[in-house]
Amino acid sequence: MAERRSGRLTRRQGLGLGLAASLATRLADAARPAGAAVEVAPGLFVLPGVAEDASAANLGAIANTGFILGRDAVAVVDPGGSLAHGQRLRAAVAAATRQPIRYLILTHAHPDHVMGAAAFADCGAAVIGHARLPLALAQRGPYDLPMLARSLGAAAAGSGALAPTQLVTERLALDLGGRELVLQAHPPAHTDQDLTVLDAATRTLWTGDLLFVERIPALEGSLAGWLAVLERLRALPAGQAVPGHGPPSVPWPEAAEPLGRYLLALRDGTRAALRAGIGIAEAPDRVAVVEARHWRLAEAYHGRNVTAAYRELEWE
Amino acid sequence: MPRAIARRPILSGLLPGAAALVAGRAGAQGIEPAEAPRRAERWRDLKQAILGDRPTEPAGPALDLSAPARAQDAALVPVAIALSAAAAPAARALYLVVDENPLPLAAVFRAGQPGALRALTARIRVDAYTYLHAVAEMADGRLLETARFVKAAGGCSAPIAGDLEAARQRMGRMRMSLPEGPPAPGRAVPVQVAVSHPNTSGLQIDQLTRLSIPAEYIRALRVTYAGAEVLRIESEIAIAENPTFGFTLAGAPGGELQVVAADNRDRRFEGRWTLGAAG
Ligand SMILES: [Zn+2]
Repeated sequence: MAERRSGRLTRRQGLGLGLAASLATRLADAARPAGAAVEVAPGLFVLPGVAEDASAANLGAIANTGFILGRDAVAVVDPGGSLAHGQRLRAAVAAATRQPIRYLILTHAHPDHVMGAAAFADCGAAVIGHARLPLALAQRGPYDLPMLARSLGAAAAGSGALAPTQLVTERLALDLGGRELVLQAHPPAHTDQDLTVLDAATRTLWTGDLLFVERIPALEGSLAGWLAVLERLRALPAGQAVPGHGPPSVPWPEAAEPLGRYLLALRDGTRAALRAGIGIAEAPDRVAVVEARHWRLAEAYHGRNVTAAYRELEWE
Repeated sequence: MPRAIARRPILSGLLPGAAALVAGRAGAQGIEPAEAPRRAERWRDLKQAILGDRPTEPAGPALDLSAPARAQDAALVPVAIALSAAAAPAARALYLVVDENPLPLAAVFRAGQPGALRALTARIRVDAYTYLHAVAEMADGRLLETARFVKAAGGCSAPIAGDLEAARQRMGRMRMSLPEGPPAPGRAVPVQVAVSHPNTSGLQIDQLTRLSIPAEYIRALRVTYAGAEVLRIESEIAIAENPTFGFTLAGAPGGELQVVAADNRDRRFEGRWTLGAAG
């Protein structure tokens, strides 16, 4: 803890973001065991998610969520998987700054990223997402809310996404006061509504679920699309990334390599299965099984990825 | 059997509005004891609507229905229905029902030659945790039923994979695969045929207009080999996009396999393959 605190101060001073030196102490006081915020770059905080499925014990805090401080304003990136987690995140912001939360950025519609938005309903922040986010939220809502109640029990009460008030069709720059965030909307990849956030000041790329580390990726948008988007993200001027799942920060673009390997194995293995006449029911046990073993929760999600890949590739 | 009559009672009871659908989804939590009576009653109603007053009996080992207990993708749940070697030659038709779907009857397979229904596969949409039922209609008039519970939700309104325009462009393309090669005398083989078709359910939403996409789906397929009918399939909106079916083919190699499909807009699609040396 002490080590991280001193590192934090040095980096912050180095960048001259004008943040009070006492912030780190206050933040440490506010931190709770389940979701201690990690300052992975000056003024850029991540509450790391756990590599589990959502449950009452983890309050749906399975994705990386966090916030970025500017001179005048705060941007929250992904409010997380439940109202309780959203509140925890909001408390962490309050402990770090008095600046208002002006932007609530939703990287995509998945419940582990958006259900905590309810905790920010009264703070007046613009809710920003990909142009296809509203439809995805509308389509998923009737399934995701009962599912959340099933996995979190009573703790799910009050959780929910917020309707986006500002949509990104391609690119959007946000000024937090001396700190510019560049939001980029992507073609279908992890989902069809993936949005990334690039913090130029610290060369940090907040990937949402376009990057998974350690936890097995989940394919829902397009396998070919994800491979292409990953290539473009590799070329961005960033030295580290905040993945949607995995450690709070990882070196970029090196950390994209295991994901790229997995997606390629999925693509090539599925094509081979199609050529061999292996059916969609059998493919999950036959495609990219060796590559899948390197990932956590593979037993729960690899089969789904193979099914999605098969569905996409059988008519290519 | 007149399908329109068979479906009407189910339709009128189940499509009063989206609210009822959502309530149904939220209520379907799995195989809970409390749900058992409702599910049993629903299946009795469905049987009455689809099969009339004819009694059914448990199929036992004569009929096997398999599907993943928890589906990887609710919009594309692979289902396999197998008749025992003893029962297969006497099976005339096979009904596949997804109890909790807005339109529960997914497909009816009718044998054109004995044994064609021995091993069937299909891909279905599942809207809520549900029982699947398969009923085999035998030559002697008996109806053999079996069931399987599947956990999946949202399949009927899930958007199609990729973009709808591209899917429409390739509409009618067909694929055929023979994983074990062509048939030979005394050696019936599995065949899979697929028709590229968005098979929209009428419950999906257009990304731009936010209106529901009209149902456009494959309604019937007829498969012949060397000029003789192998089987006919009556297919409904519970069948997943790009309808893909497997069946069993007997006969000598070298014949022509022909698939003719028609959708509810009376478009007709056709595929032909000569089943020669290598599969
Ligand atoms: Zn996600």
